[in-house]
Amino acid sequence: MDKITQVKSGVSYKRTRSHRLGILLLLSAVWFLHVATVLMAEQANEFQVKAAYLYNFGKFVEWPAGVPASQGDSFVVCVLGTDPFGSTLDSTFSNERIKGKNVLARRISKPADATSCRILFISSSESPRLKEILAAVDKAGVLTVSDIPQFSRVGGMIQFVVDGSKVRFEINRARAEGAGLTVSSELLKVASVVRVNP
Amino acid sequence: MNMLVSAGALLLAGGALYAYDMVSLRQSLVSNLSIEAEIIGATSSSALLFNDPNSARRTLSVLNESPHITAAVIFGIDGKPFASYFRNPPTALPPKPVFKDSDTQTYSFGRNQIAFARLVAFEGKPIGTVYMESDLGDMRDRLERYAEILIAVMLMSLMAALVISSFSRRSISVPIVHLAEVAIAVSRNKDYSVRATSSEKRGELAVLIHAFNRMLDQIQLHQEDARRAHDELDHRVRERTAQLAAANKELESFSYSVSHDLRAPLRHIDGFSAMLVQSYGNQLDANGQKYLQRIREGAKHMGQLVDDLLNMARLGRQDVVRRQTDANLLVKNAISNLQSEYEGRQIDWRVTDLPVMDCDPGLMKQVFINLLSNAVKYTRRTQQAVIEIGRSPENENVIYIRDNGAGFEQQYAHKLFAVFQRLHRAEDFEGTGVGLATVDRIIRKHGGRIWAQGEVNRGATFFFTLSPSGDIVTELNHG
Repeated sequence: MDKITQVKSGVSYKRTRSHRLGILLLLSAVWFLHVATVLMAEQANEFQVKAAYLYNFGKFVEWPAGVPASQGDSFVVCVLGTDPFGSTLDSTFSNERIKGKNVLARRISKPADATSCRILFISSSESPRLKEILAAVDKAGVLTVSDIPQFSRVGGMIQFVVDGSKVRFEINRARAEGAGLTVSSELLKVASVVRVNP
Repeated sequence: MNMLVSAGALLLAGGALYAYDMVSLRQSLVSNLSIEAEIIGATSSSALLFNDPNSARRTLSVLNESPHITAAVIFGIDGKPFASYFRNPPTALPPKPVFKDSDTQTYSFGRNQIAFARLVAFEGKPIGTVYMESDLGDMRDRLERYAEILIAVMLMSLMAALVISSFSRRSISVPIVHLAEVAIAVSRNKDYSVRATSSEKRGELAVLIHAFNRMLDQIQLHQEDARRAHDELDHRVRERTAQLAAANKELESFSYSVSHDLRAPLRHIDGFSAMLVQSYGNQLDANGQKYLQRIREGAKHMGQLVDDLLNMARLGRQDVVRRQTDANLLVKNAISNLQSEYEGRQIDWRVTDLPVMDCDPGLMKQVFINLLSNAVKYTRRTQQAVIEIGRSPENENVIYIRDNGAGFEQQYAHKLFAVFQRLHRAEDFEGTGVGLATVDRIIRKHGGRIWAQGEVNRGATFFFTLSPSGDIVTELNHG
């Protein structure tokens, strides 16, 4: 329930803007301090939305039965590299279920550990070795998600794009289907870009 | 009345149909909206989940194809409008719908529109609300058309009912009323010659009227038969009565003429026997004189008989001329008339108050004379003769004459009133046996009755009444 509320980023945005307008009417002395605060708030808010999206992706994507990711009792969402979510991911996933399984967040450091994940969020800290990571999970049936720029062009499946105050995403449908995943048309419908070339 | 009832029934049925149709139309409208909202909700769920109002707006834009949807708004779970669609520019955004308890949809009918809202759920969790407004113009048009058709059908069926009713009135009610009138006229006037007329040649009514007329035919036939039989009988009775009267008259005139003709030879016998006594009585011995005396007595007796018979015959031919007559006076006259018969005797006459009678005074005087004469005669040997005349205590119309004379045996009472019938020997009490027969005849001519009670040596009582009522008379007779 919480995450759905959080999805409405416009809510926060409006409040923030009115807040900011109020601040602008105030003394400019606190301007920089305020900007810093707002940026931090937006940053936090952005990852709340992304966490909720990660959860929702699980509902609009089908995994093939034989892949390692579909094994086990939990629906595992992994974060590779520096975790930008903090505790948000765990609080978003707590008590939630996808496809009848408990949703679990796991932090990993090696791409090899990613084969047991359903969804792999690749932190921007991993951008230098992105190619190796993608190659490692290429056939493992793992939905790769990242906010690294050009992610969906270079072989990633879903790339978060921040458009103004909104979090949007691009989908490389060819990649996802090449890995045996089926992306729901409902999800494709709301994607800002759908790529059909790998 | 019938028209009213059928009109009411039609109205009721029409109203019920209309109401049913309205309800079912509304239900189908709601159910259609529900389906549309469900589809919109399902196709908008990813847009809601991934905060993509554009996608939701695209989804809503297909409502362009539904001409009756005027507005649709998708609300987020936070209650704020997420995406909207308006056929015409909106005046104001609708408020977020409120659901009751665990309802997943709600609707409200306005005058021209229905507002419908449905909760959008994704995998069992509510993620937003679809709100839709549909104008009711379509439904209203349909209902109006329906009402028009209903009214037209009702008017037409009412008119048809009117036509049928007037037709049935003309073809059923009118002939039946006519039949009833004829039946009443027949039974009131006893005129079986009238007939009911039928305007139709076929059908149950024609059969009924025909049967009714056939019945009248039968009744008329029977009535004519009965009248003919009655007339015939009447005629025969008259004929017989006339024959009887003629025969009676013949008989009477015959007996009268016989009696009359007997008188002349009798007068000769009397006259010449008287001359014989006068001229040659001295020449006859005692025996001869005795025989001659017997002849003379016989002639005298016969003369008396002839006189009595003539008298009776005369009475028989005489008409009764009724008049209000004081019976006391009749009795008084009769007693004084009889004075010669009881001269030198002591008779105790006890006459109590008698009524005024409606009778022929001459004939009734004869009745009293005869009865009182009898009483005087049969008390001749009684030491203290008592003759009572009075009214019966049991019935004041009955008059009795009682004596304490010789009386008679009750078993022969029926013979008393027959001509020439006598209960006493002529040697004891002289008489012709005509007097009581005459009395009986006179009383019968008055329409009355006479009867007698008696006991040997204890006296006799004669009762008579001129009133024709017989029951008490019979009772007295037996008493």
